[in-house]
Parts: sequence; structure tokens; C-alpha cells
Amino acid sequence: MVAGASIPFLVGFNQYYILLALQSVIVASIALAWNIIGGYAGQLDLASFAYIGLGGILATMLMMEYNITPWAGMFLGAGISAALAFVIGYPLFRFGIRGVWYALSTAALVVILHEVSIMVLGPFDYYIPLLEGWYYLRFRTWENLYYFSLIVLAFVISLNLYISRSKVGYYLKAIREDEVAAEAVGIDIRKYKLLALMTYASILGFVGYIYIVSQRTFSYNTFSGPQSVYIAIIGIVGGLGSVSGVFTAAIILKIVEEYLRGYLGGALPGLHLLLFGVLLITVGILRPEGLSSLTDTLVKKVKTRIWGGVRE
Amino acid sequence: MLPSLNLLLQSILDGIFLGFLYSIMALGLSLVFGVMGIINFAHGDFIMLGSYLVWILANSLRSDPSLMSVITVPLFFVIGAAIYTIIIRPVLGKEPLIQIAVTVGVGYVLQNLALMTFRAEPRAVQISYLNFYVDLGLVSVHAAKLVSAFLSFLIVLGVHYLLTKTWVGLAIRATAYDREVASLMGINVGKIFLLVFGLGIALTGLAASLWMTFGQADPYIGSSFGLLTWVIIALGGLGGVSGLLASSIIVGIIQSLTMTLVSPTVSLAIPYVVFIVVLWFRPQGLFGKG
Repeated sequence: MVAGASIPFLVGFNQYYILLALQSVIVASIALAWNIIGGYAGQLDLASFAYIGLGGILATMLMMEYNITPWAGMFLGAGISAALAFVIGYPLFRFGIRGVWYALSTAALVVILHEVSIMVLGPFDYYIPLLEGWYYLRFRTWENLYYFSLIVLAFVISLNLYISRSKVGYYLKAIREDEVAAEAVGIDIRKYKLLALMTYASILGFVGYIYIVSQRTFSYNTFSGPQSVYIAIIGIVGGLGSVSGVFTAAIILKIVEEYLRGYLGGALPGLHLLLFGVLLITVGILRPEGLSSLTDTLVKKVKTRIWGGVRE
Repeated sequence: MLPSLNLLLQSILDGIFLGFLYSIMALGLSLVFGVMGIINFAHGDFIMLGSYLVWILANSLRSDPSLMSVITVPLFFVIGAAIYTIIIRPVLGKEPLIQIAVTVGVGYVLQNLALMTFRAEPRAVQISYLNFYVDLGLVSVHAAKLVSAFLSFLIVLGVHYLLTKTWVGLAIRATAYDREVASLMGINVGKIFLLVFGLGIALTGLAASLWMTFGQADPYIGSSFGLLTWVIIALGGLGGVSGLLASSIIVGIIQSLTMTLVSPTVSLAIPYVVFIVVLWFRPQGLFGKG
């Protein structure tokens, strides 16, 4: 946190780097929220941007149309995203839909919202008017929003850590490992999956406004299928249920993306995604536990180097 | 305002033609999932890759896209066999999440290769022997769509024949039913898997050349086709080309009617809503047994 908070000072308040840090922190928050449903509960959710779009656009529109502060809008966004998660999740879990069919249903949800929002919002980009100040949580420079996003990230990380150590976390992991066995020992699998889904959705609904402000614009394209898949990829590459792994993967992938974009410019669009594809195949085949297992092995090796080979 | 009868009939007919083409797109995916249990999220991206290949070939050979299947089908069989050996074999029998991750990775690679090479603008083949309409009074038929629907139907029947009437088909069905017993009966399961995956990808090469007789190639069509073919499989249920054909045509008609009656922008939303609701009440598909 201290390291994160000192970034604006380290880069001398260079707006480009602060915006990059802001976007990295947002991606990390989204990926760690995904970790609750995808990592702990093992449900491959591909709908993250359905919730981000719904919550974020609601908060932004309320601000633009009715001058309602996003402080209220973000909570309303969280609420409506959680409601959507309930509407989609309750029947899915009630009818025992899981695995590939769960993934496909959530992928279809994003496409449905994408297409419906073309009809509702129209086929254009909305630019947020130049409203500034804490009332609008929007500023001439990026530092303040960055600090706020750090607080959100800290909250999401602590929530992850809390869940992983709580009863609910053990239930969710049991569901991930073997749903039938989890049900057999008396875990109400529907209830806990729905709880995980709604927690994840409400975080995303809340973060939506910050995401849109950091992008400066929103449109029907905010409901993005590829972006939702990308979040799941970060969660898988980082390692299911591993907070440090997912956090590291989110930050590294974001920096690599930005570096390649800056370095090669528009010459090779999509190169970073191509590399992520290769990374994903490699991780899937060689290290299904994700990158976190790699760092774990490294840490172990270093420890045995230092303390000798007796520990284990 | 009620749409005219002509318009409705035209829309339904176009939907049926589109549905036949979808059945070829979904057939390979259905084989790979049904026989090998592999969840391939890159299936649509192979159709996309094929579409670009057909675009290049048809333009440089100055010939009709559908004829390019002579090249794409064998080539895609080889590509499929190679992908199977390098990438799919290690994740056989792994949990869905891993398979999805790996195949999403393949899809990412293909999609972004296309984006880097061809940019995002859509490409269509200009030359076609079949780009004319036959007027049938109430409706008029686009020759390219009619021919690709007819060819799709023949190929589906051909694959059905292969699966039900030949020794290879028997071996494939035996492997799908119980791979351990099949291997005890002397079937080389590894070879069958290689064959099935190769065939699955070869079918995307075929679908691509039929698609390009009237469609366009862009890097993102793969994502739409990918999800759409999965939806068709979910609706059709596994095991049987009749279910697959029926659900493809239903999806084609729903999509076509949505475009005519509501708006082209929601042409996927309505089939997907149907998909989600069907999944709730009939997880085995509309035409699946059980």
C-alpha cells in the first residue's frame, strides 16, 4: 500500500504514469473480484464487463443526467449489478448449470447486454462532461482518483484474504474441487455460489464508475466480451485463488501491454494479446496451477539455498 | 405495422439457408466435444482463419470461394492434427477450466495474428460464380446461399454416413461411448482422437469456404461463430446429426427473423436468450435424450 501510494511521487506526478498505475490498479481490482467467483468457487465467469458496464454506466448516467454524486451512484451500481447477478445466477445454480455451460451462459450474457445497449444507448461514444471535484470523484489530474482506486484495491484484497480464511472460503474451495462431494457433506452449494457471484458482481458494479472515468468515455462497447475473457485469463494465469498470483499477473500483463503498445505503436496491433495467448497455452499445459505455483517453487528453492536442504 | 408475407417468407428462407451453414460450423465442434470431451473455445477462430485463407486464395486464383475447399479442407486437417498433437493432447481429460484456458489461448493467437496481418477491416471475395438471385415469385433466392446450404446438407449427411455405416465410424462411436473399453477392443484411441480433431478442424475449413461465398472475413467473426456454434450444440444436444441440423436451422431462423422484425443489432441477443432459458429447463438440449 505504501509502495503503491508513493508511486505518484516517484514518477514526479507524470500524468501518463499515474494513469497507467490507475488502470493497473483497476484491472487488478477487477481480476481479484473475479478471483472470488472464478478462483475460490471455480466457476469460469466470462461476464465481468456485464457488471462493470451496468454499474458504471448507471452511476455515470445518473451523474450526467441528474447531477447525482457518483458516491451514491457507485453504490447503486453495485446494487444493480448484484441484482443482475442474482437474476442470472439463481436459475443457473438452481438448475445445476456448471463447467462449460456456465461459462457459455455468462459469455452470452455479455453479448446480450452489448446488443441491447446498442438499442438503448445508440451506436455512439459518450464523453463525460468536464465536472471536477470530490463530489464527482473526477479531477483535472489523476492522483486523487488513483489514491481512491488504491483504497478500493486494498478493500478487494482484504476481502479476498478474509474469504480465503473464513468458513465461506473453505466451502467455496470444496465446491471448486468437487461439487458433488461438497453437496454430500452438507454444504448448500447453490447458496454459496450465488453469494460468491453476487459479491463479485457488486464489486464490479462499484468499480464500474472508476473504470469509465479512467477510460474517459463509455458506450455499448463497455459491455465487452473480449475484455471479460481477458479478466478470466488474468485469474487463470495468476493461479486460481492465489491473491498474490492474480495481483502480480494483472500488473505485469498491464505493463507488458502498455510497453508493447508504446514500443511498437500501431505497427502490430494485438501483439500483446497474441503473446498472452501463447502464455495461456503454456501455463495451461505446463502449469495448470498458474504462475503462483512458479513463484512458490522459486521461493522454496531460494529458501532451501539459504537454509540448506533440510526444511520440507 | 405488420411486415408483408413476402418479407416474412424471405426472412425464414434466408434463416434456413443460414442454419444449414451453421450446422457445418457446429458439426466439427460437436464431434470434438462429443467424442473427445474437449471443450474447444477456438473453434470459431479456425473458421475465421479459414475465411481469410479463402479470401487470399479466391482472389489470387480468381475463382469461386466454394471451390477453395479443395485446398482448405486437407490443409485444415493437417493443421488440426498438428494442434491436437502439440496443444490438445496434453489437456485431454483435464478439468474444463484448463481446456478452456488453453483453447482460448489458441483463439487469442489466431485472432491477433489475423489482426496484425489483415487489420480490422472486413474483407470479402469479389469473384463469385453464384452471386445472383433466382426469382421464385413470392421469394427470391440468393444462389450462393442456396448452394452453400445444399452442400452443407450433403456434408452433414456424409459425416453421418461415415459415423454410422463405416468401420472408422464405429470405432469413433465406440471411443465416444467408452474409451477404455474401446482401447481394450483393439481400437487405437490416440489415432481416433487425432482423426476426429483433424476432421473437426477440416470442417471449419469447409465452413469457411462456404461462408465466404456471401460473407466477410474480419478478425472478430471467430468469437461470434464460436459462441454461436456452442449455443447450437447446447440446443441440439449431443449425439445425432438430426438434432444438430434442427437446432442450427432454428437458430438461423430466429436470427434472420430478428434481423427483419426487430433490428440487425440484436441478431445474436435473442438466440442467446433462448439458449440460456433452454439450458435452465432442458440441460440435455431440445433434441437430446434423457
